[in-house]
Amino acid sequence: MTDPDPVVFVVDDDASVRDAVKRLIASVGLRVETFGSAHEFLNHKRPDGPGCLVLDVRLPDLGGLEFQRALAESDIHIPIIFITGHGDIPMSVRAMKAGAVEFLTKPFRGQELLGAIQEAIAKDRVAWSERAQMKELRARYGSLTVREREVLSLVVSGLLNKQIGAELGTSELTIKTHRGHVMQKMGAQSLAELVKMFERLKPADRKQ
Amino acid sequence: MTGSYDYRLVTLSVVMAICAAYAALDLAGRTTASRGRVRLVWLAGGATAMGLGIWSMHYIGMLAFHLPVPVFYDWPTVLVSLFAAILASGVALFVVSRRRMDWGQALAGSAIMGSGIATMHYIGMAAMRLTAMHTYDSLLVVLSVVVAIAMSLVALWLSFHLREHAKTTWPKKCASALVMGAGVAAMHYTGMAAAKFTPSLMSPDLSHAVHVSPLGVAAISSVTLLVLGLVSISSLVDRRFAAQTSALTESELLKRELENLVNELKKSEDRLRVLIETIPALAWTSLADGSNDFSNQRLLEYMGISLEQMQGAGWTTPFHPEDIGEHLVKWRSALATGETFENEARVRRAADGEYRWFLIRGLPLRDERGNIVKWYGTMTDIEDRKRAEEALRKANADLAHITRVITMGELTASIAHEINQPLAAIVTNADACMVWLSNEPPNLEEARAAVESIAQDGTRASEVIQHIRAMFTKNTYERTSVRVNDLIREVVALLQAGASKNQVELQTELASDLPPAVGDRVQVQQVIVNLALNGIEAMGAVIDRPRRLVIRSERQNSEELLVAVRDSGVGIDAKDFKRIFDAFFTTKAQGMGMGLSICRSIVEAHGGRLWASANGDYGATFQFTLPADRDTAS
Repeated sequence: MTDPDPVVFVVDDDASVRDAVKRLIASVGLRVETFGSAHEFLNHKRPDGPGCLVLDVRLPDLGGLEFQRALAESDIHIPIIFITGHGDIPMSVRAMKAGAVEFLTKPFRGQELLGAIQEAIAKDRVAWSERAQMKELRARYGSLTVREREVLSLVVSGLLNKQIGAELGTSELTIKTHRGHVMQKMGAQSLAELVKMFERLKPADRKQ
Repeated sequence: MTGSYDYRLVTLSVVMAICAAYAALDLAGRTTASRGRVRLVWLAGGATAMGLGIWSMHYIGMLAFHLPVPVFYDWPTVLVSLFAAILASGVALFVVSRRRMDWGQALAGSAIMGSGIATMHYIGMAAMRLTAMHTYDSLLVVLSVVVAIAMSLVALWLSFHLREHAKTTWPKKCASALVMGAGVAAMHYTGMAAAKFTPSLMSPDLSHAVHVSPLGVAAISSVTLLVLGLVSISSLVDRRFAAQTSALTESELLKRELENLVNELKKSEDRLRVLIETIPALAWTSLADGSNDFSNQRLLEYMGISLEQMQGAGWTTPFHPEDIGEHLVKWRSALATGETFENEARVRRAADGEYRWFLIRGLPLRDERGNIVKWYGTMTDIEDRKRAEEALRKANADLAHITRVITMGELTASIAHEINQPLAAIVTNADACMVWLSNEPPNLEEARAAVESIAQDGTRASEVIQHIRAMFTKNTYERTSVRVNDLIREVVALLQAGASKNQVELQTELASDLPPAVGDRVQVQQVIVNLALNGIEAMGAVIDRPRRLVIRSERQNSEELLVAVRDSGVGIDAKDFKRIFDAFFTTKAQGMGMGLSICRSIVEAHGGRLWASANGDYGATFQFTLPADRDTAS
């Protein structure tokens, strides 16, 4: 499984700043997409993959911090790098507490921004693959039948096939067949792997 | 048989009558003035004296009549006639000595008195013993009785009305006595005329009869006059004594009244004292020369000094050393001019040594000629009010400063943002350019695009600055006719509180021939305020000379006027002189460095000049010119 290319999103209402930042990011070979306002970004269909957001604190339609909050509420997880024309300390502190990666005051040096972007992408790459794995796991779990899910939950609790059969009121052989399907559908090589996979699934996921 | 009169005796009898009348008038007054037993004594004594007078007049009149035969008198009858005279006199005195006398009483009294005298006369006639018969002409007898009654009426009336006016109507009294005496004599001689004597051979009954010799006449006259004199003297003495008594009584009354008055005054003074001591104020009075003569207990307790100290030089001690000088100057001025005194000064509270602000006021009390007799004054504690005023003034000053700082802060933030955007783009483009160039192979196309952007952003930054300058320059203000002197006065009023708080004396030297200027009223005022505030701030550290800020206006020529703001502050370093009008240059710890830069922009936009120069002694002068409004200039 190979990761898709990371994308850097830039939101700034000042065109020349936007273009300069885009040029800088492109110079190190990263994909970059620019937006003039928060709504433009929110309405845009983003490609699935790791990335980060370079956000001007002063936006005409939505303040940077409110935008950050809106993203969190919409369950959109993307590291944010704030840039501002007039950095004041209380604002940067609030931004960092809300999960911002960096807070840069204009004019900033190119390396400062690029370094922050690299750091953010690395962080998001981990998060993204985590999210991708979970998504895959949930998909596999979703492919199990009801009976197979029952068998799975009893298998990971450490019961033998015979005991499971007694529990579900069926034969040991039938359980063995179900168990084989579960191992195959979940892509687990061993019982230990299956147990780990099951534990990563949250209770909410298991009820699917 | 006819008789003849001895005219010497007739005269004596008339004198006797007048004396008796005088005594009667006198006695009437005394009888009226006395009371009870004393009155009875006076009545009895008076009646006796008067009766005796009338009686002796009668007998002297009889003796003055000489008949060719010897005449004897039957003395018991003579005594009866005397008794009748006294009785008549008593009735008369009783009547006239009453409080009031109406006509009925007067007529009755005079009838009784007249009849009494007539009775006395005819009884006296009956007492004669001689060898002759006397008959009466009845018409003349009636006439004599009428004369007696009429005389009595006149006598009563006079006595009644003159009885108490001894001092003022002495001549009147004498005149009345003359009239009365003449009346008595007239009655007697009318009565005598009524008698006709015819000789008879029958010898009279001479038992009890006496002959009256000339010696007897003298004795009767002397005794009568003596009695009358004694009566008059005793009356006089009694009157004096009575007058003294009444004077004494009067002075006693006066004294009592005075005592009452004093008591009343004392009471009202006590009430006033209680009032003055209990009112919640410090009260004092001073004499015309300004020396204290009373201070209420509260005042003395507050200052912690004695009344003696207060009345001496000690009263100045509790005053704050910084305030006592001015206080004395104002007090002496009030004493000299007589105008209401009013001053605010800090006075130490003895209880805790705290100086509190007081409003001290005094009003002069003048006599009817307008001279100041006293000063009445109060001291009112205004510490709380002063504090509130001070707090308000400070809040105002702070507010003004905050407003300035906020305005400046917002302005600079906005400028910073405007400038920062192109700067950020320039730096980012430059960095991107470097990366594109250092890539292998270098991407010259992208590098060129970045450099082009840099040039554009540089231009844009410059445009932002131009734009900001433009905000303070043309097209952003109205050009109207501005009365600069009025503007300066407004500025002084605006800054007065702040200036006095910083112990800065604000002065103006305004040219009376100043033409109006052309410009924006608000912006020109802003420049003056800014220059004045800078001047005041520059004097904050000055302690060795007066902090004085002078705003001067001057007509330069027909086209220009000049405003100069001169301070006595720390001045400007020679090295800073060129830079003070640059934006963001400041020598102040908390300055923005925008004030003078903006001021110069405004002045230059108006077509004037703003420059600074060092004063010869201390401080600096900032001055600017403005074009005169030639349309309205006179």
